[in-house]
Amino acid sequence: MLLELDNVKTYYGNIRALKGISIEVDKDEIVCLIGGNGAGKSTTLMTISGVLTPVEGDVLYKGQSIVSVRPDNIVRMGVCQVPEGRMIFPLLTVMENLDLGAYLRKDKDGINEDIDRVFGIFPVLRERRKQHGGTLSGGEQQMLAIARALMSRPNLLLLDEPSLGLAPILVDSIFETIRQINEQGTTILLVEQNAQLALQFSRRGYVIETGEIALSDTSAELLNNEEVKKAYLGE
Amino acid sequence: MGKLRLQDLTRGGKIRIGLLALALILPFLPFVTDYVLHIAILVLLYMILSLGLNIVPGFNGLLDLGYVGFYGIGAYTSGLLTYHFGLSFWVIIPLAFINGAIWGILLGAPTLRLTGDYFAIVTFGFSELVVLLLTNEIWLTRGPLGLPGIDVVSIDLTLFGGPKWEFIGELPYYYLAIVMVLVTVFVMYRIQDSRLGRAWFAIRDDEVAAVSCGINLLAYKVIAFAISAAFGAVGGSFFARWVTFLSPDMFKFWESFLILCMIVLGGMGNIWGVMIGAVVLVSLSEVLREILPVLGLPVQVRFLAFGLIMVLMMRFRPAGIMPIPAVAAKMRAGRVKRKKVKPAVGIKK
Repeated sequence: MLLELDNVKTYYGNIRALKGISIEVDKDEIVCLIGGNGAGKSTTLMTISGVLTPVEGDVLYKGQSIVSVRPDNIVRMGVCQVPEGRMIFPLLTVMENLDLGAYLRKDKDGINEDIDRVFGIFPVLRERRKQHGGTLSGGEQQMLAIARALMSRPNLLLLDEPSLGLAPILVDSIFETIRQINEQGTTILLVEQNAQLALQFSRRGYVIETGEIALSDTSAELLNNEEVKKAYLGE
Repeated sequence: MGKLRLQDLTRGGKIRIGLLALALILPFLPFVTDYVLHIAILVLLYMILSLGLNIVPGFNGLLDLGYVGFYGIGAYTSGLLTYHFGLSFWVIIPLAFINGAIWGILLGAPTLRLTGDYFAIVTFGFSELVVLLLTNEIWLTRGPLGLPGIDVVSIDLTLFGGPKWEFIGELPYYYLAIVMVLVTVFVMYRIQDSRLGRAWFAIRDDEVAAVSCGINLLAYKVIAFAISAAFGAVGGSFFARWVTFLSPDMFKFWESFLILCMIVLGGMGNIWGVMIGAVVLVSLSEVLREILPVLGLPVQVRFLAFGLIMVLMMRFRPAGIMPIPAVAAKMRAGRVKRKKVKPAVGIKK
């Protein structure tokens, strides 16, 4: 198992955001986490990336507990988060954004190689490379956020709502790219409100409701599940 | 496009060399009296201070209201070391730099976990503490009596059988201040283009995204705070040896506020902008000091004038006189959009 969450409880003060979440992500999988607003999806990712610390439970990465590891060291270990809402650096150029993604790396040749690689995945970023992040369109900012995360060469990529606020045509191409990134050897844990899409593109899925895992199954099964259909697929 | 940019660059270079040349010959211009030179030194001193402070709000996006605390620590470090041990200014400068940095770390390490306004309040409290300490620890600082008779700066070559020059009058201090400003600007440019600067800008733009890039927020913020404090202390140690008298009320909160105003007015984060801010506010302050009594107003009214300037700036030039390029581009984009509406109406006619 690449990543294991064991009965993780995370609180914001007195508010219990996660009431005991257990999740497993295997190497080379795409796993999705679906659920409504405030169910605890982003909190789960923030807990994995170390920005939040759980009150109880354990997060194991490659069998090693990372709950007390500093967030920057978790990135060093190969877990990289793309935060919700396309958090790029608006006052820095596209190139500077990508350089920061590779902040922990010292291998200049490898970094240049990876810049070429992400420009291959997102050709529009090459055209915009001297523009400031804040002047990009919503879709381009999302691409930049993902590209920046890839620059750290993560083993595990945590994606928080990559479809948020994007035009439908862009959403499909972003998900196509996510699949492509996965095929190149990056494991992906995906948080999405767009359950239909997330389940189509992932192998397994977890349904999270008010801080607890309500259901977990292969994505194909979840797509056919009557409850999921009613609650999340609008059928 | 490429050609134009090259021309711009050389023009920028010409302006820089021109300004430096002007600064170097300034004391020999006919209208320059000792008083003018005194103000010029004050401008240079505040350039160092505002460049130092700029690291925290300008490069890291953190509000620091207690900068004057480090200025005061530097001044008293210099004053006391001179007073008691007669140390040379050239030895004191690095010591003040280190002492400032130590206090920056001592204050920053526990408090930089706080965010936004909470951090600003702590820094404010710190500067008040420094003033209280300087006032009340009479055994150390002589308290409100002040610290008079601090030696002037000198270049002492008697050790090698050479002469000893004492800095008398404003002229040598003026050139010393120019050298210190040049060094500060050089260091700031180097930091701005370094990995360290890049990490700071990431923190300024977005903390969560910065963490996701593997940047250790606390460590980089503490480094920023320490370097900023160190430059404040260097400014203070120059001040002590220049005016040769210190008293605690020179380091009241108003000074922090004034330096912050210079940064905001000049353009937060922009090295040139910050220096322009220092020129504008220091000279304005001195002009008002002359004009206000003539109008029958107390000198303190100049703070009212500063407030007015800040309000006008927020209305007409919210990013400052010379904002950083990215912000300037954003402002331009906003202006272009507004202008676009007009020709559309014109075409209809």
